[in-house]
Amino acid sequence: MIAPGIKRGTAELAVLSVLEDGPLHGYEMARRIEEQTHGSLRFTLASLYPLLYKLEKRGWVRGAWETSGTGRRRRCYRLTSEGKKKVAPIRREWAELFRALKQLTKVSHA
Amino acid sequence: MRDWKALVEERLASLALEPQEKAEVIAEVTAHLEEMCEEMLKQGLTEEEAVRRTLSRAGDWQVLRRRIFAAKRRKQPMKKRVWQLWVPGFLTLIVSMLFLTVLYRLGLRARLVSSGPNAILLYTPWLAGLPFLGALGAYLSSRAGGSRANALFVSVFPALALTFAFLFMFPFSLTAELITGRPVDFSHVATVLLKDGIGWIVAPGAALLIGGLLAHTLLSTRSSSQRAAIG
Repeated sequence: MIAPGIKRGTAELAVLSVLEDGPLHGYEMARRIEEQTHGSLRFTLASLYPLLYKLEKRGWVRGAWETSGTGRRRRCYRLTSEGKKKVAPIRREWAELFRALKQLTKVSHA
Repeated sequence: MRDWKALVEERLASLALEPQEKAEVIAEVTAHLEEMCEEMLKQGLTEEEAVRRTLSRAGDWQVLRRRIFAAKRRKQPMKKRVWQLWVPGFLTLIVSMLFLTVLYRLGLRARLVSSGPNAILLYTPWLAGLPFLGALGAYLSSRAGGSRANALFVSVFPALALTFAFLFMFPFSLTAELITGRPVDFSHVATVLLKDGIGWIVAPGAALLIGGLLAHTLLSTRSSSQRAAIG
């Protein structure tokens, strides 16, 4: 189980990564992240939406209301060109951190 | 089927955003919960169980309100401080001064706590009302997304303002007396400062703080009980 403090740090990369595959609304984003991480990263409302609003303010994602086939209005988020540029450096930073932790702890799963 | 919109509106009622912005947040969170619950129903859960699990997965509403407010107001820290500290603080100060004036006009006098030259005057009718005003300040600050420290600062703001006035007046009057050549009795000044400090700063500050603490505890308990209901 991953501690909440560590999860919070990874949330930004998780959201940006799933949005690389295409626009998603909040629930679908949370569902995919949970599914792809086999339940290790699970978002609550308080961890997802404030983050999306922050990313939107930074101009990394853009939200727009869309109506689904069932008539439900949902806010879909997509990566902006600025957001797309940010994914690779953030991913590199995390990879670097994991490498450093791995060296430090000598734990192969770090 | 559960009315998710009503639930979200109730839980985010105190979210201090512009109406349009708040309506969008409510719509978005509602859609999230509706989809989550529907998916659980599709998986074969009973409606009761799906609703229970959806509420449980929603998380802490107080944290959600605070974080959304912070995220939406990220570029306006000054505005945030204004609404969490200065507006409720000055409002509490103004209301407490108006309250004091009204009591005075009604003929309700201060009460002498001890006799003799060192008697302390306590404005008991005013002091009795101050916890409510402290509570009001704490409530307004919390409503604007203020932390516990913000709420308590706001609740004692009238006492802090009086302290400032006191500290400003003391050297001012001392200088005036020195200029006019009147002899200054420092022991007398110290006694007056202590007496007035207790009557106008310490006692009102304590009364305001009690109100602020109670209001903040009550708001936190209410939020916790909501969380318990969710789980």
